Amino acid sequence: MTLQFANVLVFLGVGALFIFVNLLIASLIRPSKYSEEKLIPYECGENPVGSPWIKFNIRFYVFALIFIIFDVEVAFLLPWAVVFKELGWIAFIEGLIFIAILVVGLAYVWAKGDLQWVRPEERYE
Amino acid sequence: MNLGNLDSLTFFYPELILLGGILLVVISDISLKGLRDRVNPLLTLAALLLALFYTLQTDHGSAMTLFEGMLALDNFALFFKAFMLVAGVLVLLGSLHSEELAAVHQGEFHALLLAVTLGMLLMANSAHLVMLYLSLELVSLTSYIMVGYLRSDRLSNEASMKYILFGAVSTGAMLYGFSLLYGMTGSLDLFAIRDALLAQEVVGFNQVTLMLVVVLTTAGFGFKTAAVPFHFWCPDVYTGAPTPVTAFLSVAPKAAGFAILVRFFLGGLSQPAGEQWGFISGIDWPLVLIVVSVLTMSLGNIAALTQNNLKRMLAYSSIAHAGYILMGAVLLTGTGLKAMLVYLFVYLFMNLGAFFVVTVIFNSEKTFELQDYNGMFRRSPFLAVAMSIFLLSLIGIPPFAGFLGKLYIFGAVIDQGLYWFAVVGALNAAVAAFYYMRIMKHMILENDDRPPTPLQISPLNRALLVLLLVPNILLIVFWSPIDRWTANSITLFGGL
Amino acid sequence: MNFLEMLALIPLFPAAGALINGLLGRRCSRACISTVACGTVGVSFLLSLGAFYQLLGRPEGQRLVEQELFTWIPAGAGELSSGAISQFLVQWGYQLDPLSAVMILVVTGVGFLIHIYSIGYMAHEGGYARFFTYMNLFMFSMLTLVLANNFVVMFVGWEGVGLCSYLLIGFYYERKSAADAGKKAFIVNRIGDFGFMLGMFLIFTAFGTLDFTGVFGLVETQAQAGVLASGDATITAICILLFVGAMGKSAQVPLYVWLPDAMEGPTPVSALIHAATMVTAGVYMVARCSALFVLSPDAMLLVAVVGAFTAIFAASIGLVQNDIKRVLAYSTVSQLGYMFLACGVGAFGAGVFHLMTHAFFKALLFLGAGSVIHALSGEQDMRRMGGLRTRIPATFWTMMVGTVAIAGFPPLAGFFSKDEILWRAFSSSQGHVLLWAVGVLAAGMTSFYMFRMIFLTFLGKSRMSREVDSHVHESPKVMTVPLGLLAVGAVVSGWVGIPHLIGQYLHHLPQYFEHFLSPALAHPAAVEGGHASEGLEWGLMALSVAIALLGLWLARRFYLTHPALPEHLVSRFKHTYTTLLNKYWVDEVYDLLIVNRTKDLANRLAGFDNRVVDGAVNGSAWLTRLTASVSGFFDYWIVDLAVRRSDLIYYLSFPLRRIQTGVIQTYAALTIGGILVIVGYFILT
Repeated sequence: MTLQFANVLVFLGVGALFIFVNLLIASLIRPSKYSEEKLIPYECGENPVGSPWIKFNIRFYVFALIFIIFDVEVAFLLPWAVVFKELGWIAFIEGLIFIAILVVGLAYVWAKGDLQWVRPEERYE
Repeated sequence: MNLGNLDSLTFFYPELILLGGILLVVISDISLKGLRDRVNPLLTLAALLLALFYTLQTDHGSAMTLFEGMLALDNFALFFKAFMLVAGVLVLLGSLHSEELAAVHQGEFHALLLAVTLGMLLMANSAHLVMLYLSLELVSLTSYIMVGYLRSDRLSNEASMKYILFGAVSTGAMLYGFSLLYGMTGSLDLFAIRDALLAQEVVGFNQVTLMLVVVLTTAGFGFKTAAVPFHFWCPDVYTGAPTPVTAFLSVAPKAAGFAILVRFFLGGLSQPAGEQWGFISGIDWPLVLIVVSVLTMSLGNIAALTQNNLKRMLAYSSIAHAGYILMGAVLLTGTGLKAMLVYLFVYLFMNLGAFFVVTVIFNSEKTFELQDYNGMFRRSPFLAVAMSIFLLSLIGIPPFAGFLGKLYIFGAVIDQGLYWFAVVGALNAAVAAFYYMRIMKHMILENDDRPPTPLQISPLNRALLVLLLVPNILLIVFWSPIDRWTANSITLFGGL
Repeated sequence: MNFLEMLALIPLFPAAGALINGLLGRRCSRACISTVACGTVGVSFLLSLGAFYQLLGRPEGQRLVEQELFTWIPAGAGELSSGAISQFLVQWGYQLDPLSAVMILVVTGVGFLIHIYSIGYMAHEGGYARFFTYMNLFMFSMLTLVLANNFVVMFVGWEGVGLCSYLLIGFYYERKSAADAGKKAFIVNRIGDFGFMLGMFLIFTAFGTLDFTGVFGLVETQAQAGVLASGDATITAICILLFVGAMGKSAQVPLYVWLPDAMEGPTPVSALIHAATMVTAGVYMVARCSALFVLSPDAMLLVAVVGAFTAIFAASIGLVQNDIKRVLAYSTVSQLGYMFLACGVGAFGAGVFHLMTHAFFKALLFLGAGSVIHALSGEQDMRRMGGLRTRIPATFWTMMVGTVAIAGFPPLAGFFSKDEILWRAFSSSQGHVLLWAVGVLAAGMTSFYMFRMIFLTFLGKSRMSREVDSHVHESPKVMTVPLGLLAVGAVVSGWVGIPHLIGQYLHHLPQYFEHFLSPALAHPAAVEGGHASEGLEWGLMALSVAIALLGLWLARRFYLTHPALPEHLVSRFKHTYTTLLNKYWVDEVYDLLIVNRTKDLANRLAGFDNRVVDGAVNGSAWLTRLTASVSGFFDYWIVDLAVRRSDLIYYLSFPLRRIQTGVIQTYAALTIGGILVIVGYFILT
């Protein structure tokens, strides 16, 4: 039985080796001629401008979070929709409750002004 | 008896009430602009009290599981549910007149308090690894926000961030332990896991893996209970968080951690055998926990000795107390478990009391430093005496309630013949007396040159102090209801 | 309303009063304090009346109501002397039967009047709230004592009244004599309590329960089954131990010494605690345990002899005392002796009867004395009184009633109860003609010293200083009205127990009182009936009245008509007089034999403590300092040096505090490290 875990271990080992061995072989056989252009980080064919260590607007995260909530909602509602007809009214009510809870969340976010890109200052308390 | 989803709802009122409470508080927070500061605490209090009422009313006949084996409903769970709700009520009352929280908008605070309480109720009940993990995360996530509730306070933010990171590490370790367990037994249901372990029908059954499971899951529970070596977040977080939140964290999630610890180890990794539990051969988890317990209380007490910040000192003190409480859980006996429950119960009142005094003093003095407590006896004898009683109770000096807790714990340990363990506990209690007495010395004996100005305490805070004092003083006289209640509460689903 | 179900409220009301006055008293007006204190006791009195009335309404066999409030001490199993195992389980329970019904009526009734009286008496004193708090607390304890349905709850009340007595004797704690008297009362009572507790322990090991109904029921069945014979050694030991407790609380020889000193307390306290209620707790307890006592003739004999001796001993001291309250104090000791005499000869009913009548007239006399002291601005020495009859008439007449009652003149209360006791001492199978003779002699002395007090205080010429004289005033209504009510009680309270001998001529009036009490008391086998004729009973009755008259005549001759006579007698019997005046030097003897020896022992123990124990402590402290300085040296030169040298050792040397770096990465690393260490440990072992 332990052998099944041994497979995993071997897999891990081989995976790690694969990377390092390839890099090693590459460094052994490649010619090494540096130029300024070669040292620039690759970014979709564009030349990078400025430092990558810049501050993102925190509101990206808020939007991402809200998005994920409704994403998950859909994920939950899909199986519900599949068995909806078999379960009948109870499923319908349960679904409504589920959505209502999320609606409260949406209302909260809305009332707090988090659906606007520039949050109105007076909302800060 | 295992109930299906719809049948389970009848036994699920406390949780449903809390859920409704959360939604109502959120709705009132965004719709009642003028009234919300008055309505929200009332709504929260009402939800907690109603849930408490239903918890005490719950007559479940015998132990059973709800929601297709997700939750276990037994006397043990009911004890913890009542415990969490009482803690919630006390912390809510304590937070009402707190200057720290008065500076920020409190709408979310009340919703979060309800949410964390809901999470803890679920934690105390869970009988399924996924449920266990989800409820633990619900508690953790909400407490992260509560810790960082003072948005403009750097310490509070830092504490919250540390708490998140550390929590992630610990729960990660715990999840890894769970996954190993799942890999070996093929089940996430605690009782199915036990049956599989008992039947030795497991994949890769060997002691090392199982010990790894024990240690890794202990990381998760240890994080919640702040046991060494998973305690590192505790002093920093306790110092940074608003004091009512600190008081809450030091009692309720800790107790919830003990609840799932017992549920996991006794329900999942032991077999009931007559009056006692026996651990399944090859998994000597009590030994791990005894080591953790000894480390926890020793480190907590010794590190507290040199602290000068009251919140930090109480943080270490609460680490030490986790060590004592753990003593009861590792004995594998009903008396041990009962002792643990008694200790938790008295700990609720004495620790909340001590933290509450700190809150009250901060309200007018804006300080947590020990030397600013000098001359407190002349400024407010009531407060100084109340603090002394809480501290004496924490030391475990009769006739205060803390003595009862220590008595039960050490008695249960000695019953099992673990004399050295009891001696270690007693030595620790002696060390602890030193720093608790130090606080009393500063408050009562040391005076500074300033003329004493009376300290203002709001009537609500005064009433709450009295409310917290009463159990500390009277439990020793009326311990028989506690004795009966806890003796009743040690029945675990699938246990004794 | 069903008052029988509200038993618990009777003690609860005074407790609430004590709580309110104790917590808020300092902020309330005097009117408010006295309203709360008197109101709560008044409500208790009404409740007691209601309960008593409803108890009377029940058929005779069912006059026992028990009410258990909660389980107080479920301490688990205990091994009995028989080897059986019994659960030690104490309920906080109350019971009402005829005996406790009489007691609560006396306690709340007399207590209520004294509370009212105190409003006037304490009006100009400090510590008003404190006084009423203690008084209410006393009422609570006393009611708990008499209502208890088991020995443990009774003991709580027993200790509670002891505590209140201590607090109230030392009420004027700034006066050293008062503080000392309080301590003395407390310590002497402890000796008695010791006996009581041992008695309780013995009862539990013998019977496995401490409930009254349980113990007495077992005693009865075992006695009927022949398991317990009369004179059983265990029962005798229990009875004697319990009686030691009663001796302390009820001030019997040799533990009576605290009661005269207890007069340092305010006069209403003397009336309530040290005359009417608390000191009779011992009598109540003996009566309550009558089922045990009747099985032990030896213990009964001890009770009777101690009672008779106390009666005459204290009466003889009372003959020559000059302090008005001390006369009454010795009189109380003497009357308590009577009650024990009654119990000792098997007439428990008569003892309780005398307890009740005594409560009325002795409370009356004390309150009267208080009124006199009040009128004379604090003067207590009777040699500096006299001629007050016209100045304070209400006090005089009520006190006169009390005096006639205690001296035993028909038809006042004292006559019936005292005569009952004397007759039983004479006629009972456990009585003896000597016991009777002692009782009669003490009765004569009682009459003498009581009338001596009246004559010295109220009649004759005034011997007051001019300054005192000018201030003499009658007490306010709030004090004289309770006096009047108590005087009525002192007259009529005896009529509920008119003996058959007289009752047969008054439309066959039955002996209500003892008949009412009899279900609650045990009766020795051959008491009923007696062995003497009716003529003899009449004769003895006449004799005791004659003796009382003789006392009156002597007192009149000595202190009214021939004032020189006492001087003459004093010089003639100088030794006897000084012996009596100095109370037989009992206090001095106790000091010499017991108190000072105890102090010597304490000093020697203190010496041991100083030299050996402290020496060991100091020695270990020295050792600790030595090791501390060694470790400090090590710390400074080795650890600190290393710390300054190396970060690694820096982390290892002060791990506990320094480990908390505040850097979260370190924490995570340490946690994982901890996990690995634990896992590693288990893998290696």
